[in-house]
Amino acid sequence: MQAKLRDLLITNILAIVLGLVASGLMLLFLGKNPVNAYSVLITSVVRDGYTFADIFVKATPLMFTALAFAFTYKANLYNIGAQGQFYIGAVIAAAGSLLLQNILPGWLVLIITLLLTIVGGGLWGAFIGFVKAKYNSNEFLVSMMSTYVALAIMNYSLRTFLMETKAEYPQTDALAASVWLPRIIPGTRLHIGFVLAVLACVGVWVLLYKTTLGYRIRAVGYNAGAAEMSGINAKKLYILAFFISGALAGMAGFTEVNGVQHMLVQGFNPDLGAAGIGIAILANGNPIGIIFAAVLFGALKVGGTIMGQMSGIPSSIIELMQGFVMVFVILSYFVRTWLENNREKRKLRKAVAK
Amino acid sequence: MGTAFFELRGISKYFAKVIANKDVSFSIQRGEVLALLGENGAGKSTIMKILYGLYKADEGELLKDGKEIKIDSPKEAMELGISMIQQHFSLVPAHTVTENIILGNVKGVIDYKLFREEIKRLAELYGFELNPNDYIRDLAVGVQQKVEILKALYQKTNLLIMDEPTAVLTPQEAENLMGFVRDFTAQGNSVIFITHKLKEVMSVADRIIVMRAGRVYGDIKRAETNELELSKLMIGRDLNWVTKDDRQESLDQEVRLEIQHVTVQEKTGVPALKDISLTLHKGEILGIAGVSGNGQQELCEIVCGAILPTKGRVLLDGEDITERKIRARIDLGIGYVPADRSSDGMIMDMSIAENMLLKSSYDKKWQKRGFIDKEKLNQYALQEIRDYSIKAPSPETIARGLSGGNQQKVVLAREVGNGEKVIVFDQPTRGLDLGAVNHIHQVILKERAKGKSVLLVSTELAEIFALSDRIAILYKGEIQGVFKSAELTTEKIGLLMAGFRKGEVSNHAG
Repeated sequence: MQAKLRDLLITNILAIVLGLVASGLMLLFLGKNPVNAYSVLITSVVRDGYTFADIFVKATPLMFTALAFAFTYKANLYNIGAQGQFYIGAVIAAAGSLLLQNILPGWLVLIITLLLTIVGGGLWGAFIGFVKAKYNSNEFLVSMMSTYVALAIMNYSLRTFLMETKAEYPQTDALAASVWLPRIIPGTRLHIGFVLAVLACVGVWVLLYKTTLGYRIRAVGYNAGAAEMSGINAKKLYILAFFISGALAGMAGFTEVNGVQHMLVQGFNPDLGAAGIGIAILANGNPIGIIFAAVLFGALKVGGTIMGQMSGIPSSIIELMQGFVMVFVILSYFVRTWLENNREKRKLRKAVAK
Repeated sequence: MGTAFFELRGISKYFAKVIANKDVSFSIQRGEVLALLGENGAGKSTIMKILYGLYKADEGELLKDGKEIKIDSPKEAMELGISMIQQHFSLVPAHTVTENIILGNVKGVIDYKLFREEIKRLAELYGFELNPNDYIRDLAVGVQQKVEILKALYQKTNLLIMDEPTAVLTPQEAENLMGFVRDFTAQGNSVIFITHKLKEVMSVADRIIVMRAGRVYGDIKRAETNELELSKLMIGRDLNWVTKDDRQESLDQEVRLEIQHVTVQEKTGVPALKDISLTLHKGEILGIAGVSGNGQQELCEIVCGAILPTKGRVLLDGEDITERKIRARIDLGIGYVPADRSSDGMIMDMSIAENMLLKSSYDKKWQKRGFIDKEKLNQYALQEIRDYSIKAPSPETIARGLSGGNQQKVVLAREVGNGEKVIVFDQPTRGLDLGAVNHIHQVILKERAKGKSVLLVSTELAEIFALSDRIAILYKGEIQGVFKSAELTTEKIGLLMAGFRKGEVSNHAG
């Protein structure tokens, strides 16, 4: 166990370092000094609390979309439509807040809006599970296409009933300050949504590993045939798993609209869904691992923005960095298995030689 | 004796956590039939896969005619005249016999007529009844095996390795296969037989290599040994076999399960079961004999509720349960040990404790305040591990890491617990070592003594005869007849399994 933990830490750190080195090489091609760039990056992140806190602000919605992918993945289903579920959540969050903010007290509006996004995102996701269960349609394709439908719904609502009073841009009016998510640290953008996201990660972990429902979902994921043979209704679980998955992604819409943007802007955060898949893979689907992976991605994102402000470095360098880090982290799985196998083999040979 | 045709010297192979082979040395002469005898997991298949180039040995060397050789792929093995027929055939079901045989041996435009003639000639030479134009998917398993053999012959094989070749055959088909082996080796070719069946070994082998735990424990001429010695070498200890003596008459007891005129229509329109009627009494073991794929699985699934009959009824204690689904039937006390535990019976990536929970996850007894009562579950699993002497360090052990026999015991323990009234066993001991087989047989008899009803499906006649009170024979979805087990002989049952009717059998076999 000791050796395993050591492997896990060393290989992951090594993977991140290698990712940075590889992207550093790319900087060299641009004629920039990578050491210089990285040191500016690190100092600017550490220098002021605002930037540092922003890492966790960026990590918040990523945790939700990563959980959305990881949850269905445990049932051996692929939900790659978290982006769409996130948009549905965002539309509901904006609509709910704008509608209720002048009628009810702020805290009550927040709770109601959160519940609405959970239900809305959940139903949007459950539809994918439903057509999978009923017509055996491919959930991969349906979830992917549902994103475009969600995007269209968002555009439609921003041109009609949610359109700002000035009717200039495809966006809503700003939300009243009473329905903003409270800040945790004054002087930063870090809001209570981050706590909500961490709680969601822990909650999903408990659900999956401590309850019979989670047990059944994992059973179906590992071996649907044996689960069915044991009287577990896999189809019902498909719908339920997609409901929970969609609800999780929908919550990202809530934290982004009420916590960061304070309005709904057309097509904002367009890469949350894809990044979520990457984070879930990085964490090997483990909800607790997702917390750390999401923070890493948040850090890369913040770092990318800073680097983009340096002269002559395209901000796309950070996507390259994300890509490299992911490739190396995934490779590290194989390295770990290989190390583990070799260790066992050596032990065996020693035992035989005695 | 001269130089050996092929020789293996000091071969060792390590997988992570397991020694598959350790210092294995033996040779095979030209014209010899060599039997590789051993329990499952003894390393027979691994050593042959090394010879066939599928695995690479960690230590040791291979020799042909006294010269060292390297075999890194099946292609190189074939060039040296080695062919191996795997336990699961490697044929393309959507292709014809001809296409399968020439697969990998042709280039460019195929002259089908020429190949068909060639294959026909080859088949006639060995007395195989085969049409080169038939599609593999339409052929019976026994015939498919002949195609595999022809494929090897077509490649001018001198050393034919067969992995458990008789596992899928009727007794008559197995006899034919033995005939072929004798013909083939009479021409100076060699055959290696991987098997765990002692009877087969004694009837066909010239020399026997006994393997246990990855090592060679015996290299004996057939003429100089007997079944008893071989079985001792194979398991390394004596076994107490269950005998029929500890069984009592049970037929006058009341009926527990009734299957009335059940028909199951497959999607293709072919009935998998045709108008089946069976009764199962309390405290009775009803054996279902037959070559696999004749409707056994459907019969089991009808009883446990996985499929519903197109026609007919199923009654439990007189109550109609035809429409009840799996979960309801589990609650009614019907246990089911499926033939393929890895796909239907357990979840390999979960722990033993979690597998124990599989059929009763809805049951409140495993829950505490909405969460799984892990302590209680682990305790229960630990008790079952002790009761069934499952070799596992703890209830948290992942099922995949267990041996086949221990995995089967996990399923068995769960189903015996679930099946308070009826337990269906579909091939409960297939592929297991003798120690595990013996243990499972004792469990089945113990449950019968408790008054439970047992439906035992098996293709091993010895198992059917050793355990059953009555025996029904299934052929192409129909019951060929139900007999008291004393009324049947191996020969008679063999003919029934091959499709002869009750009346016809008495003419043939008297």
